[in-house]
Amino acid sequence: MPPAAATNLGYTPPDGGWGWAIVVGAFISIGFSYAFPKSLTIYFKDIQEYFAVSYSEIAWVSSVMLASMYAAGPVSSILVNRYGSRPVVMVGGVMVSTGMVLASFGTAIIHLYLCIGVIGGFGLAFNLQPALTIIGTYFQVKRPLANGLAMTGSPVVLFTLAPLNQFLLDSFGWRGSFLILGGIVLNCCVAGSLMRPVNKKALKKTEKTEPPECNGGAAEEAATVDTITQSDNLTEENQKESKSQGCVNRFIDISLFKHRGFLIYLIGNVVMFFGFFAPVVFLAPCAKHKGIDEYSAAFLLSIFALADMFIRPTTGFIGNTKWIRPRIQYFFSFAVSYNGVCHLLFPLASEYTGLVVYAVFFGFAFGMLSALLFEVLMDLVGAHRFSSAVGLVTIIECGPVLLGPPLSGALVDIFGDYKYMYYACGVFMLVPGIFFFIMHYFNYRRLDKERGQIVAVDVRTCEEAVELKTNPDDKAAHDTDE
Amino acid sequence: MLASWKQLIFQILLLLISCRHINTTSPDPTPPPLVPIDSLPRDVRRAAFKGEGQIEKVELLNPVNLELVCTWTGHQNKESNITGFWRKDGLEIENSHLTVQLQNEQYQLQQVFNIVSEENLGNYSCVFESEVKIDFVVAVPQIGEIRDKPVVTYVGDSGVITCKMEDSKPMPNTWKWYKANGTDKEEIFAAAEPQRYEIKNNERKTKLLVNNLTMADSGLYYCGAVYTLSTSMGHVELKVITYYEPLKPFMAIVAEVFILVTAILLFERSRSKKNDTEGDMMSDQTNTLSPGENNGLEGSSSMRQRKT
Repeated sequence: MPPAAATNLGYTPPDGGWGWAIVVGAFISIGFSYAFPKSLTIYFKDIQEYFAVSYSEIAWVSSVMLASMYAAGPVSSILVNRYGSRPVVMVGGVMVSTGMVLASFGTAIIHLYLCIGVIGGFGLAFNLQPALTIIGTYFQVKRPLANGLAMTGSPVVLFTLAPLNQFLLDSFGWRGSFLILGGIVLNCCVAGSLMRPVNKKALKKTEKTEPPECNGGAAEEAATVDTITQSDNLTEENQKESKSQGCVNRFIDISLFKHRGFLIYLIGNVVMFFGFFAPVVFLAPCAKHKGIDEYSAAFLLSIFALADMFIRPTTGFIGNTKWIRPRIQYFFSFAVSYNGVCHLLFPLASEYTGLVVYAVFFGFAFGMLSALLFEVLMDLVGAHRFSSAVGLVTIIECGPVLLGPPLSGALVDIFGDYKYMYYACGVFMLVPGIFFFIMHYFNYRRLDKERGQIVAVDVRTCEEAVELKTNPDDKAAHDTDE
Repeated sequence: MLASWKQLIFQILLLLISCRHINTTSPDPTPPPLVPIDSLPRDVRRAAFKGEGQIEKVELLNPVNLELVCTWTGHQNKESNITGFWRKDGLEIENSHLTVQLQNEQYQLQQVFNIVSEENLGNYSCVFESEVKIDFVVAVPQIGEIRDKPVVTYVGDSGVITCKMEDSKPMPNTWKWYKANGTDKEEIFAAAEPQRYEIKNNERKTKLLVNNLTMADSGLYYCGAVYTLSTSMGHVELKVITYYEPLKPFMAIVAEVFILVTAILLFERSRSKKNDTEGDMMSDQTNTLSPGENNGLEGSSSMRQRKT
């Protein structure tokens, strides 16, 4: 099996400076991408009455938007590979804005499907991928922290949009609200303008002529850098090889499917996403089913969101520590398993305090997983191939994300009780968690072995190079030494 | 024969007395109901006094003979006889004074009321010793889920207002819609203006569609759930605004986005110009110095640079 892809970016990421402005931009983009479809549900009752359709027909708007957002992943990746993050995010912002403005003039439900669902969904995809990608280009050492901070955008924007949407609905009705939301979402263009492409030339000047390190001390340093990146420093020849691959790979990196780490991630995620969103969707209905009143049930969701908001930057910070960072895949496996355990224990909660405790723990679990979700992918495939990787992952995850809640709903309808659905979701999360633990144990072992081999190869080639240099250029060497 | 005649006369007298009874309490006299009073079903509602301000709700759909039974345990010093009477909507009902005797440590006051039309509905209070004990609110089922926020629509668009009677309450016979006109209510007849109004009734739900809205259509709309006895009202406010209302915040936000984007891009351009001029000066220096901070191989890298 070939060693992991090169993360030798060819420059040193700034790990700060303008990078923090990038984090703010990514915060806004990611926030809108995830929170926007969820926050639109407030308008559904009024739109349902206006168009005289059933609730499931109107709920399709959210589903189409989410589906388009995931399905447009590869398109977004191709564009980012070609043009960089900034133009794609700005185009994405304009697209969502246009979709919402057109929807505000819609006269049939199909207009909403097309404008909000398809155009809006594509626009959000053009926001999500580039935001994640650009963090990888600006951060290396502090990347988990940057990712954690950027992913906090999702709960924060949702928390802000929910009351704002209610206010807009009361003041302007659904049409006016869509128009104004079209304006608000245009702020993604502001986020895009912050996403200045990293100045590789300025950072490359410091390492212009970098051949493989030959000094013993330098080799050790390289080894520690490797443990951080979890991939290998390929020699220049290997780099040239990987670049001269087929035409398709210029657009999107299909060779990722041969990548061991990527496959582990993909298989685990596909199973996990079946049970990921359903517990959130059914938290309030389940609480009402247990006899809790509507306001307390809504309050549970707020508790969940607050716990989520708090844990994401914390997880990023923890993931960045020197104990966790080299083995961050285990941290991710832990987060997935913790989610599973949380859901399996949920049926034990019967009164309101039990539900509150569950909401807090679930909020922590959900936030932990979300904060690490893309960081571990970056860790596995490297920032270079991350853009293509995330595109492929999102389009394959599209299926479980869309099927998860309806399947869970079907479980609830068949058994008439929510606990079987929570058991199922718990299993769907615990099994991938354990899978990740086992597979990454083996993966880390293989990577350590491969790294050991490559360092040995490097040392050998360096010694040979030093020999070559000292033999024919003896005189020049003597000159420089003196 | 004589006994049956006496019975008939007695019944007619009773009829006249009860008719007069009803007539004295209503403000505008209406002709007595044609339904013979004895053939009405009897509905008995009992209540025992628990505390001050006690209200009992009595939901009626059809005309009944309503018997209200009011029970009170009395004060500390229980007298054997006290007076009790009934009030309707705060006004004393004539000829309702009764002497109540203490039985089983309780005083019990009961009365049969003929509820046949809307005037008979109201607040019936049983009074012991000039103190009101229990209020019986006799009414048709009220619409519980009333939308308190206005429905906002736009000029030229169509508006939809809905009213719903809860599943726990009895179904109305039909629904009617009214538009508020000052303090009056005007009934909306959909048949008269089919292009403008459309009413869709569905047992528990009713929907009013108003097409081609104008500013004048703003205001309160009342939906009435029609029962045999009376109609219970709910109201919804319709607000009609022009497209300029949301357009103003929208333009403000677009302007803000435009300003921010321009500011950020200009800032970046000025930064890059400064960097370019500095960079040219810097690059000369860096070529002579060894930039080997990362490698710590100052000697070897400078050696290589000279080679290349």
